Amino acid sequence: MPGFGTLTADWMVADSSAPATRGVVLEQTRALDKFLAEVERRAFRMAQMALRDPDDAMDVVQDTMLKLARNYATRPSEEWRPLFYRILENGVRDLQRRRTVRKRFMTWLPGPKEDPDHEAQDPLESVADNGPAVPDILMQDQAMQKLEASLRELPARQREAFMLRNFEGMDVAETATAMGCSQGSVKTHYSRAVHTLREQLGEVW
Amino acid sequence: MSEENLGLEPTALEERSRALFLDSVERIDMRTRSRLTRARHAALEAAERTRPRAWFMRMPVMTSAAGVAAAAVLGVSLWMHAPAVHHGPPPADAANFEDLDIVAASDNSQDNVEMLQDDLDFYAWAEKTQGGEPAA
Repeated sequence: MPGFGTLTADWMVADSSAPATRGVVLEQTRALDKFLAEVERRAFRMAQMALRDPDDAMDVVQDTMLKLARNYATRPSEEWRPLFYRILENGVRDLQRRRTVRKRFMTWLPGPKEDPDHEAQDPLESVADNGPAVPDILMQDQAMQKLEASLRELPARQREAFMLRNFEGMDVAETATAMGCSQGSVKTHYSRAVHTLREQLGEVW
Repeated sequence: MSEENLGLEPTALEERSRALFLDSVERIDMRTRSRLTRARHAALEAAERTRPRAWFMRMPVMTSAAGVAAAAVLGVSLWMHAPAVHHGPPPADAANFEDLDIVAASDNSQDNVEMLQDDLDFYAWAEKTQGGEPAA
């Protein structure tokens, strides 16, 4: 009769699911890497437009990646995108709230009113890669700046709905999951956002 | 896109907005792209480190813990149910004293002695017979 340790060892050897599970985990990690690589730049630009700071945007995107990988990696890959943007929007909102509190606190302190934690922007970041001709870039930049300025004027929920539906190309159901609201609310927020932007920018600006 | 639910095509504003946004994404500088890649790898590695291990991977630890617990239970059980072992003379407990009392209190002890005296002849004959002498 085998002893306790022998029985356990036999059982462990007989279990063949360990390598298979490791394979599944590896495949899952690769799929998640591919998904994150696909969305990371758009997510960064959205966060940057909302926060107006590339470093803050980078922090929020990195935090979002980490939370998704830690908590939702085992979920079906179809759920990753709405979950990712939900985490991202929560991160953006948290940072905006912290900024508001910090700004209120800073007004009570003597000295410069500027944020002391804000680092000088790296000049390399503003250098554009080789691409379209300079006049075209300038025109696009100006149009984009107008769009960004108008988006910032929108209520947060309308801005979220517009970005997710228009920039990210999510359907109503995915957007509702990402925003944590009903599909009807998504339609309402999006419709109002488009209406306001059209009033501010014209049909084609 | 706003008219998607109504079955209409996206408006020019929506198309232009999307095109501008995607163009700005394409023109993200290399330094930021590199930082995003590093952030992604760091997130995946961190998630891998904190990923909960499968239940069968925890079996050796569980087995050890179960073995220690079983040994402890067995030890306590044996200790609780082990018979008392005494070395040296048995104690003069209450039961022995009771037996003496019964013998001492017996009323017909004198009768027993007299009965033994009546059979003295028989005991003498028995002794002779065992010594090899034939009975008379």
